[in-house]
Amino acid sequence: MALGRVMRFLALTLLACPALAAGQGTGIIRGRISDAATGAPLAGVSVRVDGTTIGALTNSDGTYTITGAPAGSRVLSTRRLGYAPQRVAITVPETGGATQDFALGRVATSLDEVVVTALGQTAQQRSLGTAQQTVQGITIAETQRENFVNALQGRIAGVDVTSTSGIPGASSSITIRGISSISSSNQPLMIIDGLPMDNRTMNTGVLASDNNSTQAFSNRGVDFTNRASDLNPEDIETLTVLKGPEAAALYGIDAASGAIVITTKRGKAGGGLQYSNSFRIEKTGAKPELQKVYGPTVSTTAAGLTSFSYFGVPYAPGTVFYDNVDGFFRTGSAQTHNLSFSGATTDGRINYRLASSSDKTVGVVPSTDYSRINLTGASQAQVTSWLNTDVSMAYTYDNNDQVYKGDIGPLIGLLLWPQNDNAKNYLTAAGTRRLLTTLGAGTEQDNPYFNIAKNKINAKTNRIMANVGLTFTPISWGNLKTNIGVDNYTNTNLILRNPDSQVGNAFNGMLELADVLTRNINVQTLLNFNSHQLSKSLSISGLVGNAISDYRTGADALKGQDFLDPNFVSINNTNQRTSKTTLEQRRLIGAFAQAQLDFKDYLYITGTGRNDWTSTIPKGANSFFYPGINSSFIFSDAFPGIRRFMTGKLRAGYAAVGKDARPYAYRPSLQYKTTSNGGYGYDFYGPNLALKPEFKKSFEYGTELGFLNDRLGLDATIYRSTTRDQIVNDIRGSYATGFVLFNLNGASTRNTGLELTLRGTPVLRNAFSWDFQMNFDRARGKVLSLPHALPESYVSDTWLYGNVRNGTAPGLSTMSLTGMYYLRNNAGAILIDPSNGIPLRSSIFIDRGYDRQPNYTIGLTNTFKHNRLSLDFLLDFRRGGDVFDATDHYLTTHGLTMSTLNRNDPLVIPGVLKDGKENSATPTVNNIVIVPAVQTAYYTNMSEELFIQKNVNWVRLRDIQLSYALPEGFLGTKNASAFVKGTDLFLRTNYRGLDPIVNGNSAAVGGSGGTGIDFGNFPMPRGFNFGFRMGL
Amino acid sequence: MKTRYAAILVASLSLSYGCSDYLDVNTNPNAPQTVTANLYLPPMLHWMVTSPQYDGRFVGHYTQEWYSTSTAVSPELTWGRMGYDPGSDNGAMQWRDVYWSLGQGLIDMNTKAQAEQRWDLLGVGLLLKAWGWQVLTDLHGEIIVKEAIDQSRTAFDYDTQEYAYQEISRLLDSAIVLLQKTDGAVNQAYLAKGDHIYNGDRTKWLKVAYGMRAMMLNHYSNKAAYDPAAVIADVDRSFASNADDALLTYPNANPFDDYNFWGRSRNNITLYRQTQFIVNLMNGTQFPGAPDPRISRMLSPAPDGVYRGLDPNLTGFGALATGVQPNNFFGYAGTGGLGLPGRYLFDDKAKIPLMTYSQLQFIKAEAALRMGDQATALAAYTNGISSHIDFVNARNLDNNQSPPQITATEKANFLASPSIVPATLTLSHIMSQKYIAQWAWGHNELWMDMRRYHYTDVDPVSGTEIFRGFTAPTTLYGANGGQLVQRIRPRYNSEYVWNVAGLNAIGGLAADYHTKPLWITLP
Repeated sequence: MALGRVMRFLALTLLACPALAAGQGTGIIRGRISDAATGAPLAGVSVRVDGTTIGALTNSDGTYTITGAPAGSRVLSTRRLGYAPQRVAITVPETGGATQDFALGRVATSLDEVVVTALGQTAQQRSLGTAQQTVQGITIAETQRENFVNALQGRIAGVDVTSTSGIPGASSSITIRGISSISSSNQPLMIIDGLPMDNRTMNTGVLASDNNSTQAFSNRGVDFTNRASDLNPEDIETLTVLKGPEAAALYGIDAASGAIVITTKRGKAGGGLQYSNSFRIEKTGAKPELQKVYGPTVSTTAAGLTSFSYFGVPYAPGTVFYDNVDGFFRTGSAQTHNLSFSGATTDGRINYRLASSSDKTVGVVPSTDYSRINLTGASQAQVTSWLNTDVSMAYTYDNNDQVYKGDIGPLIGLLLWPQNDNAKNYLTAAGTRRLLTTLGAGTEQDNPYFNIAKNKINAKTNRIMANVGLTFTPISWGNLKTNIGVDNYTNTNLILRNPDSQVGNAFNGMLELADVLTRNINVQTLLNFNSHQLSKSLSISGLVGNAISDYRTGADALKGQDFLDPNFVSINNTNQRTSKTTLEQRRLIGAFAQAQLDFKDYLYITGTGRNDWTSTIPKGANSFFYPGINSSFIFSDAFPGIRRFMTGKLRAGYAAVGKDARPYAYRPSLQYKTTSNGGYGYDFYGPNLALKPEFKKSFEYGTELGFLNDRLGLDATIYRSTTRDQIVNDIRGSYATGFVLFNLNGASTRNTGLELTLRGTPVLRNAFSWDFQMNFDRARGKVLSLPHALPESYVSDTWLYGNVRNGTAPGLSTMSLTGMYYLRNNAGAILIDPSNGIPLRSSIFIDRGYDRQPNYTIGLTNTFKHNRLSLDFLLDFRRGGDVFDATDHYLTTHGLTMSTLNRNDPLVIPGVLKDGKENSATPTVNNIVIVPAVQTAYYTNMSEELFIQKNVNWVRLRDIQLSYALPEGFLGTKNASAFVKGTDLFLRTNYRGLDPIVNGNSAAVGGSGGTGIDFGNFPMPRGFNFGFRMGL
Repeated sequence: MKTRYAAILVASLSLSYGCSDYLDVNTNPNAPQTVTANLYLPPMLHWMVTSPQYDGRFVGHYTQEWYSTSTAVSPELTWGRMGYDPGSDNGAMQWRDVYWSLGQGLIDMNTKAQAEQRWDLLGVGLLLKAWGWQVLTDLHGEIIVKEAIDQSRTAFDYDTQEYAYQEISRLLDSAIVLLQKTDGAVNQAYLAKGDHIYNGDRTKWLKVAYGMRAMMLNHYSNKAAYDPAAVIADVDRSFASNADDALLTYPNANPFDDYNFWGRSRNNITLYRQTQFIVNLMNGTQFPGAPDPRISRMLSPAPDGVYRGLDPNLTGFGALATGVQPNNFFGYAGTGGLGLPGRYLFDDKAKIPLMTYSQLQFIKAEAALRMGDQATALAAYTNGISSHIDFVNARNLDNNQSPPQITATEKANFLASPSIVPATLTLSHIMSQKYIAQWAWGHNELWMDMRRYHYTDVDPVSGTEIFRGFTAPTTLYGANGGQLVQRIRPRYNSEYVWNVAGLNAIGGLAADYHTKPLWITLP
């Protein structure tokens, strides 16, 4: 097959390499490298003899020593992230040594900066024809977010982070350039030190209880951490976001939604011991206002309450009210300690870094916490003149306790609980759950205090990531780099539904244990071709490579129900047990190549190509090739006259990238049925042997401009991508097919957008400086077609409240919401039932133009430095985008919101009667007077669309930090600083719910997921941190 | 230098690692793609018996077997007023199970059985196929038959009910031929592995096939083609006594799925209560002077010991105050009874029938009476009541609930009452007693009976109502336009969302489509 041919070609290319130049005398080169601005020594600068692989890294004092440099006229070049590279001609004598010092200029984000690109390569910014943006690790660490994904919102144009809730360990989803896939993941590929890292959020589908619709959570009532949060933010050196397929094309099919490329820290000479800590307190303040006028609905025939509805008679004067909400939350806290040692040998040939970190967060919601321990070690060595090694290992342990969310969660329970009853008093004298209604324990909403005390969601994870890299440089014109990595974790989950609780009563208690074992192996080999001069002004460089991945994740779930002792939490205490194992395996092979032509260092044309073979697509269709091309033109260098005013670059890129299906998607399989007497029957999924990969084709154009000696810079990108043959998972059809769900090709979506990054340094003086960066993002996603012209596609987990879901259809946004909204006449007036004056609702899911996609977002970072003091903050703006406040709808239909206080005022709902004349020129205007207090259908039948808040804007202060650098040598320390910091301190929004950043599902759900569906979710708390960092 | 080349060579070889086998990991390790033919059978038999109970929650509101006291809009104010839940799959479990739970699996089973000459299994397979079309067309009228179970289609045309009946007839005729065969690979032990109703006894399945054909032919009662003699002939070849009843046992091994749908653990009808209609059929009101001994084994008294039922025109318990509200079907007040023994069909382990001897005897009685054969009708009618009394006793022993059994004396006294067994039998006797015998399990046939007699038809001989005391709710569901319900709309999430064109062709998009009479009930 094609792969074989490619491999043979690669092998021939490799073997046909010319012999090395004949041996000659060698000399030693020494020197010192310093920062051009400050004169401070620069450690970790790579110095190389061009055309050879010989080189060294500078020590902490900035010095370097290169031994074995071939004699003669040579060129020395330097590279260090954040600094402009330099090349200097030098003569190496046959014997003895030469000295060459460098003073390197810092480049903020100018064209000469060395940046990390795809495959962990580095390149000069000027040569990039695609959009990417980098955040320094220290910036991420300083946000003090235990989940580094949460640190990215607002810092990178085009990146959108949605945290599921404000509970510690809540999952966060991250998308770049909007939603293009209707049902699959839109999250980017995470790359750590060149190899993929698993960022899965456990899907409740692996739970044994999910097989039974009366027990299933369907990613609604529970949440699990997204696994990228296992990474210690302190270990991140740099994080680069490759925004589109153009930049990420070399990563292949998993990078259709972009890639996040993380480089972790390595040892530096003189690194020594570093310690930092952070202490944090958290508060949550937001709570909806509830009416205290009307009491619970009381049945005339039954004793006690029959529900938690509040359409009853007014509370008697003097009724004692309890503030059940206020006493519920506690002050959250967190503390983090980071300790690292690093260093290098004096010749810079070997370096090491060992780090440990502990993090413990106690959430504002009682019973929630998250703690994590990280141990990492990394070492690089120059073993011989032609072999470099790099090894890193990271171990993580984390332990997370969460609470239920949505309608079974404590927030809804808290709001629903009668205000004239003390919710804190949740147990009877006998120690069992105190019930207030006649509904029974299985139907009555859990008392929130009972809920958090008796139910439990715990997850523990042990994870090891190891990455071994070898770089061979046996030849003068290139090198061969191989990385082998294992990402291995065991994730142990416990979900307890107390026998007395609403979720557990029907089963007399339920305990679910689920162990997820994931083992991913990745091997990547690159053959790099150094720059080769084709003519005086044209040079070429490139690479060929191959990647092999083996992903395997298995879940063993065991569910026990019917507790003997209601309080003893063990599967051994259950009477009925069922189990379920889920094994998922996926393998990929990729072969890729890249060639870059460089014309006079101002025009670059880069071509890429990759072929992938995947196990998840039927044979014959599972091999697919996609090309990419991009170009960068430094017009300010091509026309030096411009350079006096500005530096500027234009770029354009095109790439296609394929994407495969999830495992086992195309052939139906049977299921062991748990109905009477077992046996086998088909699962929901029908066959699709014609399944083929989907393709995303993307164009982007951009410019990078620098003015005033780079004090002001603008980076602008527009893109347009189209995904064709998109695989839509779980799409429904008529049951007459014999099945319920299909995985079909045939959707297409189009994404367009504009990203702007404006950065500047308005003030730069010795004592005072001010830097800012503004990231603007406008993204649009539109569905062009659905498979077989089906009318709607939605992800079933998102149908989590009432009759609204993330349904989309051709012509709609990829983030639309469909629902059983009000019926309207041709003029848009609501149709009213002539028999009762109540609006009529659609019996099918329809579109009414709701779109959760914001018009634009802006992240604004400002950094002020005055002597040793620095202040920085990140403001996050959003304009537009709809949010469904399901909590408000829920409370309104239960008669609890302030808007239900006027229930005794007669009113006429604006609309026209559905009397046959509704679409005529003279429809009958509704004149039926209703009194909501009597016709409570006014509330209970209210369409959810009244609670979809249009155009939600916000300004939030994500982070603000004040730090003070202590004098060098203060108490024997170096680089010591202290800081105080606030997170999420401030939110101004027109949203009437608690917090518009919400996800009604978890990050496990594909497509647009439950983003923007707010139902019983705890908002992000406000946090206040302080701490210090120092070196010894 | 050699080392360097060796390194390159090793690296190159690692690149050329073969990929064809390596990628062959896409066979789902969690489930097989095909199994032996008999292993397809258990879930299908489970659903054949259980699926009608799911829909029975809603059909039972139409037929006034019970009403929900839930304060929610559905089912009481929708189904309870002969309406439906828009945008809901309520009342479409059989749609799901015929097309999906049986669906492709049944085709696979039949294909394998045919190839392996397992005529007994194939016979059961064709019977299942016939059962599917029968229940679906009786519930929904027009259904998808010809184009069904085709994964290459995305739109499906509906077939007429007349066609569906022809197909049912054809399938049952074939099943009857096959189930008589003893050649080929007919093997009771093999069939028994999948058949936990009759343990592989094909002769019992043959009786089921005759019984199904009798029931199907009897539905033609409003048509000129009605052939009561054929109905009687098939009944006679079918069940000979209660011992032949097709009963599904619920092992109660796997929480929920294999518990009786009506058991307290399943919690499906905890909020449901009997109607005044069924109470009046059994408490001596409609059959004066003959209070039914079965009432205290089937229905639930209020805590004061009096049997009362709900008034469909009132919500919840209506005017019944706490102390006089009927207990739940398990025999306890409120939501009680969890983990405690139930009664009649309302126990976790109670066996649920697909078809009973008693039911067939009433069919025979109806056919005979329509032929004018009073003697045959009377004998079958008496058999029907007598065997149902035995059936009630048996069900109350399924889980050793040990309620007092109906004694032989009680039974004899009851049957001796002229109010129950009159000198001149009328349709009103037969159909009202058949209603009792089918109450709480035979929803499909029971509703078909009511629709065949237009709910409130009057007996031409006695002038009493066929279904004694039945009155439709005074306020019907808004979309009904004053018409009584005749059919259930096809499954929402299958058809109203994904097969709109097909529905439109049969008028299924109309809000009052559910009031359109079935072909089979028209003259």
